[in-house]
Amino acid sequence: MSTTTQPPAYKQAPWRRQIQIVGAFMLVLVIVATIAGLYLSISGRAAAAGRRIQQLEMRENTLNLEINDLRSHLAKISSSIALNERIGSLNMQTIDPHTAIYLEVPGYSPDLRKGIEQAPLPEAPKPQLSPEYTSSLWDWLREKIWTISPNLTENPNEAQP
Amino acid sequence: MKTHNGRILTICIIATIVALAICVQFVRIQNMPVAQQILDDSKAYQGVTQLVYPNRGNIYDAKGRLLAGNETTYEVGLDLNAIVQPETVAKAVSDVMGMDYDKVLAYATTEPGNGNPFYIQLDGFVSPEKIMQFEALVEEYANKKLGRNEIRPRLNGLMWTPHNKRSYPEKTTGSNVLGFYKYLDRTQGMGYFGVEETYNTLLAGTPQMVYTAFDPQKLSMLEEIPPGADIELTFNREIQAMAEQELDEAIEWSGAKGGTILIYNPKNGEIIAMANTPRLDPNEYWNYAELFPNPEPFNPTISKTYEPGSVFKAITVAIALDSGAIEKDTVYSDDGSYEISGVEIRNWDFGAYGDVDMTDCLRYSLNTCLAWMAEEIGPDNFYSYLKAFGFDRNTGIDLGGETHWPLKLPGDSNWYDIDLATNAFGQGISVTPIQMAMATGAIANEGKMYVPHIVKAVIIDGKRYEVDPVLAGTPISADTAKKVTEMLTETLMDESYENAYIDGYTFAGKTGTGQIPTEYGYTNPLTNASFVGWGPSEDPQVVVYVWMQEPTRDIWGSQIAAPIFSKVVEKLVVLMDIPPDSIRLGENATLQVLESGE
Repeated sequence: MSTTTQPPAYKQAPWRRQIQIVGAFMLVLVIVATIAGLYLSISGRAAAAGRRIQQLEMRENTLNLEINDLRSHLAKISSSIALNERIGSLNMQTIDPHTAIYLEVPGYSPDLRKGIEQAPLPEAPKPQLSPEYTSSLWDWLREKIWTISPNLTENPNEAQP
Repeated sequence: MKTHNGRILTICIIATIVALAICVQFVRIQNMPVAQQILDDSKAYQGVTQLVYPNRGNIYDAKGRLLAGNETTYEVGLDLNAIVQPETVAKAVSDVMGMDYDKVLAYATTEPGNGNPFYIQLDGFVSPEKIMQFEALVEEYANKKLGRNEIRPRLNGLMWTPHNKRSYPEKTTGSNVLGFYKYLDRTQGMGYFGVEETYNTLLAGTPQMVYTAFDPQKLSMLEEIPPGADIELTFNREIQAMAEQELDEAIEWSGAKGGTILIYNPKNGEIIAMANTPRLDPNEYWNYAELFPNPEPFNPTISKTYEPGSVFKAITVAIALDSGAIEKDTVYSDDGSYEISGVEIRNWDFGAYGDVDMTDCLRYSLNTCLAWMAEEIGPDNFYSYLKAFGFDRNTGIDLGGETHWPLKLPGDSNWYDIDLATNAFGQGISVTPIQMAMATGAIANEGKMYVPHIVKAVIIDGKRYEVDPVLAGTPISADTAKKVTEMLTETLMDESYENAYIDGYTFAGKTGTGQIPTEYGYTNPLTNASFVGWGPSEDPQVVVYVWMQEPTRDIWGSQIAAPIFSKVVEKLVVLMDIPPDSIRLGENATLQVLESGE
C-alpha cells in the first residue's frame, strides 16, 4: 500500500493572506505612529515648558536688576546729602539740644529694632514637574510597571515582621 | 506568479542591501577620526559655558540705610552676523554714545569669522538713559512711515546687555571706612581699603561656571547663583555725616592740615563714626591717586601714627593708680622742673604749681608730675601696662590697612631712660587714633577693653549672623577706671576747660598738644592738637577722639580740639537720644511722679 502526500483540504485565498499581511503591517505602523505622535506631543510640551522657564529666569534677572536700581535710587534720594539739601530748601533747622523737651515714657525701650534684621525668607516652592517633562516615554513606562508590580506581589494586609 | 515573486524578492534584496549600506555608512562616519572633532565642535552649538559673577552684596549702616549697593548699567556691542545696515547702526551709536562715526562703521562692516570676532564690545558701562535713547530710535524706526522705494532703517546687530555696577549713594560720606570696589574691571574687580577690602570674599560671593543649554528640554541645566553676603555696619550714617561736617568746618576754622573725629562705643567696641580727611567719592574711585598722593593713608584713623601729647596722660594716670604707684590724693610738689638722666623736664607753660594732688596734675597737665609718676611706676611696670593697653600692636579692627608704630621698650637700642618720662606725657611714643580710642575705652568701660569693629552683622541668604564683641583685655581694674573718670570729669568742669564744656552733660576728657618731631628734634612750630572725652560720666556710652593735624590758628589742644569735641558731643547726644543729666539722673523721681499720676 503506497502513501502519497495529499494537499490540504483548503487553502487561504491569496487575497486573504495579503490582507492579513497588510493588516499586520498597518497595525505595526499605527502603533509606531501613535507612539511617535505621543512622544512628539510630550517633547513639544517639554520644549515649550523649558522655553517658558528660560523666559521666567530672564524675567527674574530683570526684576533683580530693577530691585537693585530702585534700592539704589531710594538710597540716593534719601542720602544724608540729599536730605540736607531738602532740609535747607524747606527752611528747616536741626534741633538745638538745649531746647529739646524730653518726656519720660514708662516701659518705653528706645530702638528695639535690631538694624536690618530679617526673618529668613520663605523658600519659594520648587517647581514640581510632571515626569512627562523630565523622562522619556520608556522611562515613564518602566516607572509605571515598577509601581504596579509591587501591588501585584505584595498583600497590604499581610502582617509585616 | 513565479516571475512576480522573483521581482519582489529582487526588490527586497536590493532594499536590504541599500539599508545595510546605509547602516555601514552610519557606523563608518561615526568612527571616522574626524567624527570626534565634529562632536566636540558641536558642543559649541548646544549651549554656552560662562563664568557668572554673583551680585555683590550690599553694605548697610546700623539703621539699615544703604551705603553700597548695585545699579544697572549696560554693555553695548555689535553682533556682526546680525548687522544689516552698518551705516544706520554707526549713526545711532555716534549720536547717542558720542563715538566716532567712522570708527563704529569700520567695526560694523567687519566680516565676522576667519580670525575676525563675531561680537565687538563698544562700551561696557553705558547709562540706562542712553539705552532709552536707543530704544526710542528702534521704536521710531519701526513706526516710521516710508516713502516709495524707501528702506526701513534698522538697528539689527546693535546689542545692549544689562549688568550691575557698584553704587555708593552717600558719595563721600563714610568713604574712608567703606573703601571702594573697582567695578570697571568686570572680571578681576575687587574691593580696596576699608570694608570692601576686608570683606571682599564675603561680599563677592562665589563665581560659578554655568552651562546654559540652547535646548529648552534640558531643564536641569538652569542654575541659581546665590548673591554675595550683605553686611550691616556698626556706624550710623547720620552721626557719620555730622562728624564729617563738623570736621570739615573745623579744618577750615583751625587751618589744620587734616583731621580725624572718631566716635567709639567702649561697651562693645563698635565704631559709631569715623570721620577723616580727605575723602574719596568711591563712585569715581579712579581719582584715588590724585586725592591720596603717596604716602597719604586712605584712613588716617587706623593708618597714621603721631605723638599724641597730653591726652596720653589719662593712660599714665590709670597705670599709676592701678599699679599702686599713686593714690588719688597723693601730693606732688611741683617746682617747675623734673630731672631724669640729666635731662630736665619742664611744664608746658614753664610754670611751677607747688603742692598739687593727682587731679590737679591732670587739670594743669603737668609734665613734671607725669614724669615723676612714670618713675614711681617703674619702666618694667609702665611698659607692661602699655602692652596691656595694646600700644605695641594693631588693634585688630576689621578694616584693611591698619598700622602701628613699634613700641620702644627698655633694652631696645633706641630706648633711653628719658623715654620713660616723655612717654608718660605722650611724647616719644607714636600711636594711631584707633589705638588711643581703644585704650581710653578701658577707662570708660570699667577696665574692659574691646577690639574695635565696624561690622555688626553679616546677612547670608536672608539669615543674619551677628558679630560678637571681642574683649581685647582688662588692663586696669574697674575701680581704677572709675577713679580716672572721676578725676577727668572734675577737671573738665574746671574753667580752664570751658572750651570742652557741654551744657547739661557731664563728660570726662583730656586735652593734648603733641609736638612734632623732625630729624633735628622738636623744631616744628606746629603741633598735633587732640582731645579725648568719654561720657556721660556715670555710665559712658561713647568715647570721642578728636585729632587736628598741624592747626595754624592756635597750637593748643585746649583751644583747637576741645571746642570741636564740645560741638560734636552737643549734636551727638541728640542723635544718640542721650537726655541731659537733669533728665537722665532724675529718672527715678520723674518715673515716680508719672506712676502716681501727679
